[in-house]
Amino acid sequence: MGGVDAAGAWHADGEVLGAYSDGRLDAAGRWSVEAHLTSCAACRLQARALVDPARLRRLRAALIEAVDVPRAGVVERLLVRLGVADHTVRVLAATPALRGSWLLAVATTLAFAVLAAWVSRGADATMWLLCVAPLLPLAGIAVAYGPGIDPTYEIGLAAPLGSFRLLLLRAATVLGTSTLLAAAASLMLPRLGWGAAGWLLPSLGLTACSLALATTIEPLRAFGITAGAWVVAVAVTVAPPPPSSVLFSAAGQVAFATLALLAAVVMMVRRGRFEADRGFDTTPRFAARRLR
Amino acid sequence: MRPDRAPSDAELLAAVAEGDSDAFGALYDQHAPWLLVRLRRRTADSDAADQVAQETFLVVWRDAGRFRGQGAVGAWIWGIAIRRLVDLQRGRVAQERLAGLLGRRRVSDVASAEEQALVRLEHREVIRALNRLSPELQAVLQATVLDGLSTREAAVLLGIPPGTVKTRAMRARAQLRQDLA
Amino acid sequence: MTTPASTVQARDLTMTFGRTRALDGVSFELVPGVTGLLGPNGAGKTTLLRVLATVSAPDAGSVLTLGLDPRRTDQRLDLRGRLGYMPQEPGFHAHFTAFEFVDYVAILKELHQRRARHEEVRRVLELVGLDAVRRKKIKALSGGMRRRVALAQALLGDPDLLILDEPTAGLDPEQRLRFRELVGQLGEGRTVLLSTHQTEDVVALCQQVMMLHLGKLRFTGTPLELAGLAQGHVWHSHKRDPGALGAWRTGTGQHRNIGNPPAGADLLEPTLEDGYLLLLGGDQFEEVAA
Repeated sequence: MGGVDAAGAWHADGEVLGAYSDGRLDAAGRWSVEAHLTSCAACRLQARALVDPARLRRLRAALIEAVDVPRAGVVERLLVRLGVADHTVRVLAATPALRGSWLLAVATTLAFAVLAAWVSRGADATMWLLCVAPLLPLAGIAVAYGPGIDPTYEIGLAAPLGSFRLLLLRAATVLGTSTLLAAAASLMLPRLGWGAAGWLLPSLGLTACSLALATTIEPLRAFGITAGAWVVAVAVTVAPPPPSSVLFSAAGQVAFATLALLAAVVMMVRRGRFEADRGFDTTPRFAARRLR
Repeated sequence: MRPDRAPSDAELLAAVAEGDSDAFGALYDQHAPWLLVRLRRRTADSDAADQVAQETFLVVWRDAGRFRGQGAVGAWIWGIAIRRLVDLQRGRVAQERLAGLLGRRRVSDVASAEEQALVRLEHREVIRALNRLSPELQAVLQATVLDGLSTREAAVLLGIPPGTVKTRAMRARAQLRQDLA
Repeated sequence: MTTPASTVQARDLTMTFGRTRALDGVSFELVPGVTGLLGPNGAGKTTLLRVLATVSAPDAGSVLTLGLDPRRTDQRLDLRGRLGYMPQEPGFHAHFTAFEFVDYVAILKELHQRRARHEEVRRVLELVGLDAVRRKKIKALSGGMRRRVALAQALLGDPDLLILDEPTAGLDPEQRLRFRELVGQLGEGRTVLLSTHQTEDVVALCQQVMMLHLGKLRFTGTPLELAGLAQGHVWHSHKRDPGALGAWRTGTGQHRNIGNPPAGADLLEPTLEDGYLLLLGGDQFEEVAA
């Protein structure tokens, strides 16, 4: 079986390989072919004739696709599992605010709020968290979209995907992430209770409000104004002792839920305006963020 | 890589480790055919063979940098493929598991003495002795010697208890020694 | 100079940043093929390209691109689907691979069908010769490769209009050559507008050339016509001619002078660069005189 080349080395010929492939060789023949194939490039190429070219092409294409497409992170896979479109997930994953630095800042802030609660241990234990948590998504969204923040902002402006849709997608990602983190922080408070979740509706209301405002003024300014308004509202309404605020009362919560709904309506009505401004904006030259 | 001569497998693999897509394509063209042919001799299910081949090359893409440069690249690739097949047989398709497996137990990329002997089966006695073994003993020897699987892995691939693999391997070796003595 | 084939018509484009007039009543038409936009730094080239790419709106004036009016939202979105834009300093998500980055831009361009989108991403990366490194992280790529990644994203969806801002900046001679080959091909049947301050690029690539200086369009025509402007204005002399707008010592030891030659001067055949320098020099001369 096989043949010997000019240098005296044994090679499997097409006939032997065919017999091997069809299972017509005995054990010794099989083994020598297998051992030989792993080390002999010339004989490996002969094996090509034994495989359906269409099958090789199909496998190759599937393989190239699998290798090109980035391995999705856990969150990305989960979102796809939940039925979110693959392209939407990719856009979400590119949210600049989702980088480690922002997550770290949010986690640190929340950790301090929880720490403060444990130190004071009094009736005001939850106040820090309640006041700080609604600000986090605002800060996050502010660093999620815009010139100088999003590296592809300039290219994005010249692309047909609506900028408001992009902003909303990013806002949803940031809001989702910070809400999860704040919820985790709430569970670590010394005294659990529904009061510890008092930040949720204000957080939603403020985010919606700032997005609605962003249809009229610069997004960054919109987030700043909303955050400022919240700080003032907290400062004015907190009444010691023991510290409490009408903002976290039942009436306050209803008010924030209403605010969120109203802002959502405004957003939907005015989104076209945002597209018109942003997409075709008149801001001065974009300062590209350079690569480190 | 110099363009005036076909790059060796090891050079291709080094380029793949650097993220070179062309080198990966070339490596696939070199190794996919024989891999599919050899897998045909391990499983009758061609869909399973396709899956194993695909996952094997994905591991090659990811772990190209781990190849130590000892032995043939083909042997390294087969080591990955046969373990993918074992995993598939186990019904454990999770790639992470495989990665863990590869991390723990390095695929031996040095051909064993037995393999080396098999490459040159010029001795009629060896051929006769091997062929005289029963199919069951041949299968066990193939899994443990040629494919380099552990007893447990061979047991999964052949669908027999690990104890049986051990006893059959011992019997096969004893019989070979006796025949060649 | 209205040609029925013109794909872009700009009228009186004006744009002001603070007290700077970046564009000052710029009007022109573009036809299929490669047009070079020449001008020194700060001439307003980037501002003009951003307006054409629908990134910013002019303070006054109008553009009709591929028959679409970017002032109208629906037409602007249509237009964006048909143009490719390579900014001067494209930002990258550095942790993305080249493939991921272009794929991301493809999503922004609303190529939603996954398979087809990935095919398209591979196609454009192959076009710019980045096939082999497409799975490398962008931060691991050289500057020249990054420029090509930026070009690749502009080619997504085979756009009818390509707007390239200083695409050859920072490329070495070999990369520049490859780039010219590619853009030359792209210019067949497509409208390509590229800004540069390299006159060699224009000579090598462009059928049309425009020159912008201080927000005003100083020249539109063919490269030959631009060179022709300097006909009779370039001459040789042993010493630098004091009457020249500009002069430099060449490798032969002679001085090459541009400006108004003295009688009996040893006149030279002008190049496109001479025409460009003459226009620039003329401006500077006027400024000094004013």
